[in-house]
Amino acid sequence: MIWPPSVLRLRIHSSRRHFSLWLPLFLVWPLVLVLGLVLWPLLLIGAIVLWKWGWSKPLLLGGPAIFRLFCALRGLKVEVKEPGEQVLISFR
Amino acid sequence: MTDNQRRILEMLAEKKISVDEAERLLTLTEQPAGSEAGTSGVAQPGEPKPRYIRVMVEPDPKAGPEADPEHVNIRVPLAIIRAGIKLRALMPSHVATKVNEALQSKGIDLDVRSVKDRDIEQLISALSDFEVDVQDGRQKVRIYVE
Repeated sequence: MIWPPSVLRLRIHSSRRHFSLWLPLFLVWPLVLVLGLVLWPLLLIGAIVLWKWGWSKPLLLGGPAIFRLFCALRGLKVEVKEPGEQVLISFR
Repeated sequence: MTDNQRRILEMLAEKKISVDEAERLLTLTEQPAGSEAGTSGVAQPGEPKPRYIRVMVEPDPKAGPEADPEHVNIRVPLAIIRAGIKLRALMPSHVATKVNEALQSKGIDLDVRSVKDRDIEQLISALSDFEVDVQDGRQKVRIYVE
């Protein structure tokens, strides 16, 4: 089982701009769960309506698939450094 | 039944191979991926599976002051590839047809619906031997799997 990333680090340093963000994603998980539960009946209705056009399966399974993709982001790191400039994006 | 097994049976029906040869080949196709030692570059059981693709760009230490000072360090989890490939199951058939047509127009003859999870695992396992190392006198670029 792959857990979703718990922390997002974002740092942009340049001569003009300094921006640093440490976002605790684990605090967002419960909100996403509640949002998912609230939206579930609407998705179900949407899937029934769109059944004829073949979009019901993507609609129903899209959420879990996107969540799986989000979980896979854990460990992603992009760091670019030049003299006086730095960009860092890191999911942990 | 896999494509390979079907092909073996077709070869047997066409009398291109004997019954013994067909049996031996069918036995080989039933073995789990990675059990053919050293034949496909696939990781052996027990070996750690590759988890990340790393892209490192650093100044070439031999270049001295002319070296490009840029540093790039990118680590991409291979789980993203797995999760991305699983998205194909959500593709409506008419979308998959369009994707296949677009791939064919680029010279890639691939049916996205026929890609199996096992194929992806074999591809990822085979990546464990992948390494690119380039030095152009100013920078050193390394792409590898860890």
